[in-house]
Amino acid sequence: MARITLNGLSKTWGDVVAVDDISLEIADGEFVAILGPSGCGKSTTLFMLAGVYMPTSGDILFDGARVNDVEARMRNVGIVFQSYALYPNMSVLKNILFPTRFQKLDNAEAKAHDMAALVQVDGLLDRRPSELSGGQQQRVALARALIKEPNLLLLDEPLSNLDATLRLNMRAEIRRLTRELGVTTILVTHDQIEATTMADRIVCMNAGRIEQVGTAHDLYARPSTRFVAGFIGSPPINFIDARAPGITAPDGADVIGIRPEALHASESGIPASVLHVEPMGRESLITCATDLGELKMLEPTPTSRFRDGDRLALQFKSEDVIAFDGDQKLMEGPITWQAADA
Amino acid sequence: MAQAPDWDALARRSRRGRLLKSTLLIVFLTLVSIPVLLPFFWMLVIALSARTGGVESDVLWRACAVLVPGTLAYVALHLALPRHRLLSALVCSGAIVLGLWVLVGDELHLRNFRFLITPNLIEEIRGAATAGGQFPWVWEAFVNSFLVALSSTFLKVTVATLAGYYISRFTFRGRSAFLQGLLLIEVFHPWMLAIPIFLVIFWIGLLNTLAGPILVLTAIQLPFFIFIMKGFFDAVPWDIEMSAMTDGASRREAFWYVVLPQVVPGLIAITVLGFIQGWEEYVFVTALRTGNSYWVMSTYLYYVAEDVMGVDYGLVAAVSVFYIIPSLALYLFCQRYLTQMTFGGIKG
Repeated sequence: MARITLNGLSKTWGDVVAVDDISLEIADGEFVAILGPSGCGKSTTLFMLAGVYMPTSGDILFDGARVNDVEARMRNVGIVFQSYALYPNMSVLKNILFPTRFQKLDNAEAKAHDMAALVQVDGLLDRRPSELSGGQQQRVALARALIKEPNLLLLDEPLSNLDATLRLNMRAEIRRLTRELGVTTILVTHDQIEATTMADRIVCMNAGRIEQVGTAHDLYARPSTRFVAGFIGSPPINFIDARAPGITAPDGADVIGIRPEALHASESGIPASVLHVEPMGRESLITCATDLGELKMLEPTPTSRFRDGDRLALQFKSEDVIAFDGDQKLMEGPITWQAADA
Repeated sequence: MAQAPDWDALARRSRRGRLLKSTLLIVFLTLVSIPVLLPFFWMLVIALSARTGGVESDVLWRACAVLVPGTLAYVALHLALPRHRLLSALVCSGAIVLGLWVLVGDELHLRNFRFLITPNLIEEIRGAATAGGQFPWVWEAFVNSFLVALSSTFLKVTVATLAGYYISRFTFRGRSAFLQGLLLIEVFHPWMLAIPIFLVIFWIGLLNTLAGPILVLTAIQLPFFIFIMKGFFDAVPWDIEMSAMTDGASRREAFWYVVLPQVVPGLIAITVLGFIQGWEEYVFVTALRTGNSYWVMSTYLYYVAEDVMGVDYGLVAAVSVFYIIPSLALYLFCQRYLTQMTFGGIKG
């Protein structure tokens, strides 16, 4: 278990900047998710933490000690890959035992059985990875990462190869395990649900930089940049030009964002016509054409009262709307809409 | 409304078409396989039946009348009863043995294989004066061939594995030029290089030693093997290697414990190919000796056939049978690995 510090960390491949000067502090035992689209540098960051890549500049500190030059195998980091990266030539037990081959560990065998029981693969120890289902392989990979009691557990998109139900179970399972063992964990994912449900804090990255660090609620309600606002939330936020007719926004605002659930149909408001209605199970998503562009509205009923082509008026509460300045940074200030000719 | 199609008639037509197509295919493949198989049968029958010098073509045809239908029956059973392959093999070989016994049983003998136990084959045939003891016992050639095949295979597999891994995993200056160079070497037929190779081997003093052909064979086949191994290593995901290194393994340990086991099919494939090539080599073992400094199986067979006797076909065939047994056995044991070679080998 360790406290992890990243200090101005950068990684470039020739002219390509994969990670651009990121700094981050992760507390001992904390579960942090690095969230971002593919190519944002999150996996590069992970591999630098693991010691597979050398940082171009900046420092990585474990408990305050610089580990940049410490080889991967000496860092005592456990890692679960998206592909699980189980060793196909070894049985499940051998896979779990593999890290102990290089580390003096008393009762390695007994420990391996304990770990297997913890992740519930104790009945499969003699099997080969190819004989396991995706979920079982995932559990074995976790056991293998955890057997050496790592300073840091790294999870690289660990759930993206699982089906939806299994993913739900594994999310809870991984959370339980990491809490039980108190291990500092970094999850890398492009799936916001994974990040929001599992992590104590979320680090949202884009184009090699950290956009925002905060809890799921921080990122959703008070996204510090336009990128975060657009990336978090499904269905995605609506962006409207702040200078569009009828919009009153603080000075310097470039764009305003309205979450689909902040919009509702009303007596008066932005005139709109329904383009299409998508039932989503618990609620319906209604896409409307307006003078301000296409807007998505979430209606909290399983079946919508609207049909394609219906006309309606959209209204929003001022406090649910956020504005961004020309630098795409969050701004304070009330935002309202009024009919242009009123 | 259009007339409903007559589904039964259509189904009958499709079935008939499929049957016709597969029948034609099987007949065609059978026909082209017979000229391939017959020489092997002849060789076997001649080795077992010929008496000094002469071959009874009558015996040949009678034996083939058993062997060819027997083999075809085995293939048919093999395809028709995939669950009872061992049984069909036993039944067919039993039938073949019985058939041979009945038709040509009196003609079969093992005298042509006496070269295995007679050190002085030529002296026995021609009298001591003719050959002057130059012609060796077959086992000497056999051991030499084994030495050539095994040591060149060992060198080829070791170098190709390490080089293939390095090329697959690392970038270095001139990597693509190196890869293109490997392919370029394949363009030249090695025999074109026979004279320069002879000179090089002569200058470094390896002429008339087995080390000469061993090194030359290794060098000739290495580019191709490096390419094959690179393909196999390319197919091993980076993830498991990185995983091994975060699990505490050094790069070398990760290679040894995790990566190498993934390319075992490739190792077996190039081992078999390398061994068979070394075992069969004729050109360079001949070119790199002056006189009779060493004998290998191919030169032995050549002298049996061409040089020493007035051609005793029974003896030639018997030596041939003896000669192909090791490579045939190796091939049979490893053929399922050889067929895997394509998927790893083709990726560039």
